[in-house]
Amino acid sequence: MKQEISALMDGELFDDDAEETLDELKRNPDKHEEWQTYHLISDVLRQSENVHANISINIHERLQAEPTILSPRTRASHNARWFALSAAASVMALTLVAWLSVQVGTETAPQIAMQQSNTVRPANLPANGLDDYLMAHQELSPSLNVHGMPTYVSTVASQQEDQ
Amino acid sequence: MSEREVDQQLVDRAQRGDKHAFELLVAKYQRRLLRLISRFVRDSVEVEDVTQEAFIKAYRALPTFRGESAFYTWLYRIGINTAKNHLQALKRRTPTTTIFDAEESEGFEDAGLLHEVSTPENELMSKQVVNVVNSSLQELPDDLRTALTLREIEELSYEEIAAAMNCPVGTVRSRIFRAREAIATNLRPLLGTSKDKRW
Repeated sequence: MKQEISALMDGELFDDDAEETLDELKRNPDKHEEWQTYHLISDVLRQSENVHANISINIHERLQAEPTILSPRTRASHNARWFALSAAASVMALTLVAWLSVQVGTETAPQIAMQQSNTVRPANLPANGLDDYLMAHQELSPSLNVHGMPTYVSTVASQQEDQ
Repeated sequence: MSEREVDQQLVDRAQRGDKHAFELLVAKYQRRLLRLISRFVRDSVEVEDVTQEAFIKAYRALPTFRGESAFYTWLYRIGINTAKNHLQALKRRTPTTTIFDAEESEGFEDAGLLHEVSTPENELMSKQVVNVVNSSLQELPDDLRTALTLREIEELSYEEIAAAMNCPVGTVRSRIFRAREAIATNLRPLLGTSKDKRW
């Protein structure tokens, strides 16, 4: 148990073990003294050539005269607020993604149409030379403006439209 | 569970009526708060009184603590305000013109700059405690001393110490505990029993 107290003061225990150790500290006054002594050692090593006296006994006596606090779980409401904020942020992000995808869909279509009218002029090509023509001019294809779409897909579609 | 989370766990318990949990926080932070308040208040007896007052104020204010800042930051702020109110009540001036906020107070580590006005008896006891801790540390086997030094002085996590010492985390945990326990064994005769324990 002493080893758990040592790890607890370093913040190196898992939650369940920490709970258990805190319960044990409450039950056993000797363990409370271990907690005090380890913290005294820590304070001496970390801070000081000169350490202050222990005033926890006086505070203990004063605390006995204080009414016991029974406050609502403020952390829970804090967590709930964070949950609400993160949920709102998620909805906003989804809305943004949806809006962007709609924008991309509506903006690329006219672009493709415009560029097609300028670049895909020679319509009277022999059918057997079509593949060569498409390959040679694929960099002019409007489909390059459409992110993630293979170039030949839109090019073929535009040719069909002209015919 | 980090140190801050352990503090929050203790606060949660205190907020649910567990006074003992608050006393664990007192045991942890009393000397740091005493040091802080001794920067504002010169008289050692007054320093102790003001520190006690600050802890009681913190206890009463626990229902308002939401865990948005670290507990010690909140506690130090209460300590500073209590010290300033005390000085105002005594119509004294603070010993320094520097305005400290809670964050600066936490980072203030230079003991040499502190003025520690204390009784001769307290000073003697304090020196004995410091001597026992330091000499006990020097007597420890190398691996225990290194592990404890990396933890307490360098403030490394167990995982970082394990990497530095090339050993498992479980070994680090054991070494640090054994080091503390060895020092505590030498300290206990000096500290006395819980009834008359002033250190």
